[in-house]
Amino acid sequence: MIPKAKSIGKSHPVALSICSFLQISQSGAMFCFMIAIKKKICLLGTFAVGKTSTVERFVYSRFNERYLTTIGVRVSQKLMPPMAVPGNSAKVQVNLLIWDIAAMDRFDAVVENYYRGAAGAIALGDLTRPDSFGQLAEICSRFRSINPEAALVIVGNKSDLQPPNADTAVEIDQLAQQFGAPAFTTSAKSGENVDAVFSRLVREMGAPV
Amino acid sequence: MNPLLKQILAARRIAHWQFDADLNIVARDRLAKTMPSLGNEPGGSLLAAFPELVGSEDALMAVIRGERKDLRLEYVNRNATDGDPSYWHLMVLADRATDGGILLAEEVSKLARLQQAYNQQRYEHVLLRQHAALRGRFLMDSILGDSPAICDLRDKIKTLSKVPTATVLLLGESGTGKNLTARVIHHSAMPPDAPLVEINCGALPDNLIEAELFGVEKGAFTHATASRVGLLEEAAGGSIFLDEIGELPLNLQAKLLSALESKTIRRLGSNRAIRVNVRIIAATNRDLQAEVAAQRFREDLFYRLNVVSLTMPPLRTLGEDILTIAHHLLAVFNMEFKKKVDAFTAAAEEKLRHYHWPGNVRELSNCIERAMIFAQGTAIDAPELILSEGIRVAAESVNDWSVPADGIDLDTVERQLILSALERAGRNKSKAARLLGLSRDTLRYRLEKYNIT
Ligand SMILES: Nc1nc2c(ncn2[C@@H]2O[C@H](COP(=O)(O)OP(=O)(O)O)[C@@H](O)[C@H]2O)c(=O)[nH]1
Ligand SMILES: [Mg+2]
Repeated sequence: MIPKAKSIGKSHPVALSICSFLQISQSGAMFCFMIAIKKKICLLGTFAVGKTSTVERFVYSRFNERYLTTIGVRVSQKLMPPMAVPGNSAKVQVNLLIWDIAAMDRFDAVVENYYRGAAGAIALGDLTRPDSFGQLAEICSRFRSINPEAALVIVGNKSDLQPPNADTAVEIDQLAQQFGAPAFTTSAKSGENVDAVFSRLVREMGAPV
Repeated sequence: MNPLLKQILAARRIAHWQFDADLNIVARDRLAKTMPSLGNEPGGSLLAAFPELVGSEDALMAVIRGERKDLRLEYVNRNATDGDPSYWHLMVLADRATDGGILLAEEVSKLARLQQAYNQQRYEHVLLRQHAALRGRFLMDSILGDSPAICDLRDKIKTLSKVPTATVLLLGESGTGKNLTARVIHHSAMPPDAPLVEINCGALPDNLIEAELFGVEKGAFTHATASRVGLLEEAAGGSIFLDEIGELPLNLQAKLLSALESKTIRRLGSNRAIRVNVRIIAATNRDLQAEVAAQRFREDLFYRLNVVSLTMPPLRTLGEDILTIAHHLLAVFNMEFKKKVDAFTAAAEEKLRHYHWPGNVRELSNCIERAMIFAQGTAIDAPELILSEGIRVAAESVNDWSVPADGIDLDTVERQLILSALERAGRNKSKAARLLGLSRDTLRYRLEKYNIT
């Protein structure tokens, strides 16, 4: 199902930020719709778990060992591969607006504004710091309270340094159950599973149907 | 838009854009061009120019309709073309005059950089601490084994890590790992940048050790041409590991005690007292109490050091842990010698288990290292494990030998010994060479000399 035309009406101009355009399909013989949809997603987690590194790896295919604390928010964009829409000749391409948000000491209006309108989030903990997962439960709850329908993926990052151990595996499992979210271990350094996490999140968001 | 408001915004260096109810940009001021962007000219879509607003469309509309006061985003980071980040506070207000809205943007890069520097320090500090704790845990894992004695040792170290100032006395036979334990104690209790200084009190002559420990002021001796910081001073804020403390001469024992009590030191040739805060970890394989009784160790220093004492268990009491440690050493030497020896034969394990290991882990390590150097296959067998006890017995019997009254032909004896070694080594020349303390080449040369095939 394609989002209905009424979404683009004047009363509610860009509720879904849709820009559709005609494109020639691979067969060349037929025209089909390619619909681009912008979706906002957030990276959640306490400081230095690898949020910025994950975005850098996914969007720019690079990695930096040096830690530079993020301030405020930086939005990066990445066009996902086109997806077929079941029962329709149209294809959908999701343009992810990825919010790399600084770790926040408190939850206030500033954070609320950062989270607002997100369709999904990647919640990261650091496999070498078990307590970074403890803080995730609260962060995810806040995020869900602002975006009740949003999809979540739980991630244990820095797998190149340490595989999940008895502590972290249990924490990740509990988070996954509590928020009904799939879980991955990743390495922003090696790139392991990073693409898989974003693809999975897009699928979880159910775009566009 | 109100001209007065425009003036105020320009004076405060706040950029602004006006947009209509369809969220298309209709106007912008001159300052607006200074914001790094994908293009935010009039005629374009507000959401394309400000992807940060995607997802907040409902809130935007609510502001335009007057149902919501404003919409703010703080510290929005936009990379400039030169790669430097610039930071902006964004705020959306309703514009009554046009039924649309105004977006205000104020550059706050300076403020952001201050906050960045502050947070960077704060977080790095926490990270360092956490990594130190982690490293302490990894280090703890380097004390191998599950025997009750080892578990008890680990528990005690864990407790000690919570009292980073307590003086610790490590007791136990030589080769039991007092050095490693000192390092684990230090790292599990101290921040990662705290120094750990080690000195072996038995390895230096008396006059040198004093200068090493306390430092020297320029001119203290005729050849003291420069001042030198002593180890106690170098260890300030961290730990000093005084190995073989039992060897420290009596006069230095007194000086050390006074330094510990007063928490100050004086360099040789100086009267200036220097405050030092150092954790003492001392170790000895001597029975210090007996040394005290024999008046070779000061009683007061003994009590000062013996606040917490840990006795390292001898290797022979560790049962199956001997094999755990042996396998760990196997892995270590495999890496070092690029070999693929991954096991001990049952007979070799038996031998490891039953030997009494007078030199403890150090001896075990030497023994396995020696076997690994010569190892050909993928498993180490019992004869390849040469134990110092065996060597000692051989040495004794060598001493028993003497030349018979009517003399002896040395070549005949050597030939005889080589034949016997070959037999004992199952005709394996490498092993025979090892039994004789010869290199393979030397043995080959002698085999030719004596015509042995
Ligand atoms: N080894 C390793 N280091 C990582 C990984 N991800 C991030 N880091 C490092 O961890 C530190 C913090 O990463 P960063 O992305 O800035 O964390 P953020 O505060 O969550 O954005 C940096 O020094 C990174 O280089 C990873 O997967 N493996
Ligand atoms: Mg970051």
